[in-house]
Amino acid sequence: MTPAEDIEDTHPGLARERTELAWTRTAVSFAALGGLILRGHPYAGIPILGVSALIWQLGRLAAAPGAGRSRPRRLLLITVAVTGVSVAALALTLIGPEPGGLRL
Amino acid sequence: MRAPRADRELPAPWQVPACLPRWSRNEERGRTNASRHTDPAGAAESADGTEPDARFTLANERTFLAWSRTALALVAAGLAIVQLLPPFPGIPWGRHIIGTPLILLGSAVAVISYLEWAGNQRALRRGEPMARSRLPGLLAVTIAITGLVAAALALLSG
Repeated sequence: MTPAEDIEDTHPGLARERTELAWTRTAVSFAALGGLILRGHPYAGIPILGVSALIWQLGRLAAAPGAGRSRPRRLLLITVAVTGVSVAALALTLIGPEPGGLRL
Repeated sequence: MRAPRADRELPAPWQVPACLPRWSRNEERGRTNASRHTDPAGAAESADGTEPDARFTLANERTFLAWSRTALALVAAGLAIVQLLPPFPGIPWGRHIIGTPLILLGSAVAVISYLEWAGNQRALRRGEPMARSRLPGLLAVTIAITGLVAAALALLSG
């Protein structure tokens, strides 16, 4: 293997940078959903925005030097958050008030 | 498919070949080996394979995050269909029939992606082949059925 065969070998930080960007995208996704829900249901939107900020912070840790071991609890947080949002959405859909639809 | 590991070139699990970059030898492997001799948690981990190259761990993590965003988008889409779409004339539960499966699918994708992440991480540690993901099939079938139902509703409600 020649030294320059794989750019990852000379720049290992790229994998960490991609991972940090993936965390940031996830945080932005949560923020977008939280912001949308905030209009109609402030008490549901604010916790989602809080989770978004937490994920953003975790993403910055993901790119720290020495990071590269598996972190099951951080990923479990994401799963719990998405499942929680899903259960709340399901409850709103099934037992919430009859929605009138968007009036443009 | 074989797990992307440099096993064949490794003379022993604690030795990393010279062709691999210095950072993978020093930081990740070195720290793992040190922890094996000090704390009992590290010793328990070494019984279940060896810590994989940091790049594989990070790639597995990114895959999980991408599926999580997909799950979140499915929940948002289902919620938007029920809450924002005008009702189908004559079919009061029409929006719920389309939106609820998408929200449930989002929930399932979030849980399954975590289980698959854990399975892939275990396979990487042991140098075993990674299992094929069941998520693309699940996603394709559910979205196809939801699409057909939506088309039927659009035709019936006219």
